[in-house]
Amino acid sequence: MHVPDGFLSPQITVPAYAVSAPLWAWAARRHFGRASTDSLPIIGSLTALAFVIQTIMIPVPGGTSTHLVGVMLLALLYHPLVAFVCESLVLVVQALFFGAGGITVLAVNALAMGLAGPFAGWLVYHAARRVSEKGALFLAGYASMQVAALLVACSLALQHQLDPRYFPMPPAVTFPAMLLPSLTVAGLAEAAYTLFALSLLRRAKLALP
Amino acid sequence: MRSPDPRRDRILLGGWLLAVFLASAVTDLLVLTAALAASMLLLRRGLVRNMRRVALSVVPVTALLSLLSFAVSWIARGAIPDVAPFAALGLRAVMISFLTFSALDRVNLFRALAPWPTPTRLLVVTLAQIHALRLLLTESLLGLKSRLVRKPGTIDVVRGAGGITGALFSLSARNARDVSDAMRSRGF
Repeated sequence: MHVPDGFLSPQITVPAYAVSAPLWAWAARRHFGRASTDSLPIIGSLTALAFVIQTIMIPVPGGTSTHLVGVMLLALLYHPLVAFVCESLVLVVQALFFGAGGITVLAVNALAMGLAGPFAGWLVYHAARRVSEKGALFLAGYASMQVAALLVACSLALQHQLDPRYFPMPPAVTFPAMLLPSLTVAGLAEAAYTLFALSLLRRAKLALP
Repeated sequence: MRSPDPRRDRILLGGWLLAVFLASAVTDLLVLTAALAASMLLLRRGLVRNMRRVALSVVPVTALLSLLSFAVSWIARGAIPDVAPFAALGLRAVMISFLTFSALDRVNLFRALAPWPTPTRLLVVTLAQIHALRLLLTESLLGLKSRLVRKPGTIDVVRGAGGITGALFSLSARNARDVSDAMRSRGF
């Protein structure tokens, strides 16, 4: 679901880094300082779990595939900024060691999948949890996936508007290609994963917050 | 033999970042071809291995996306679209990945990150758990396959995954705590 290297020009990637860098610094100072010594192993494990979840491809009609993001758990258990840093780390590992995504588009992917998506899900969860805890978790997972997919599609569409020679696919192609799998398959899978994984983690009696 | 000076790794890392951002700004097919040829000539060590990694990890995804988009554009416009932007897109993706894999061959990432102990610890813990979880995932899938007469479908995998996720995560969290404590005791 994330943008690969070479699909977005520095016109978009550099401003995205300019937005992400202070957020990374702020999140690192606020959530990964000396006080986080005890929570770091659990955060590391959840980050690794998100990485593994992202490698499992779900086939969608049309011959392509989609995948879950899996960092909504971190946003719900800790904070959306923790999810942002951890998703950035997942994207760095994917880019450097597995050739997926990329380092130039890292900030764009991190903002969409690590910050905007989990933050939207976190807001939905806090708004809906009084009605139903399980329903709120399900909705949070679904919303996070839709917001992330929409932002990724918007960045690609913006690139086409800025320079069609750089990214030749028009928004009429990009939006359905990004949003249809997300609305129909990936969103529901992410929602179910968020609900079941959080229930299982709470039952496993780990030192969760 | 690699120099133990961490500045060398940080300079190489900086050079690689600059190179990939410059490569991501190029749209001209000829310039991209010349730049890829020049980088292949300059980064000869491990060329075959790195190009193989690019061919396995980047080319299939980029080619599939480009071909699908080309076909849809063709159908939508009713005329054959210009091939050059699609070719440039693919070449750019190949070049950036080649530069990344070649840089990683030459840079010790952990030495470059040495001045920042918390990111180093988080990276080490995460990488260790990624390897452990991937191994456990493969073993779980093989176990599931051995228990079924037919090939396991998506429903079988999901049903099997539900039972092992909690246990997997408990194991991973314990292991992560051990790794983290070991690193802390060594000054990270």
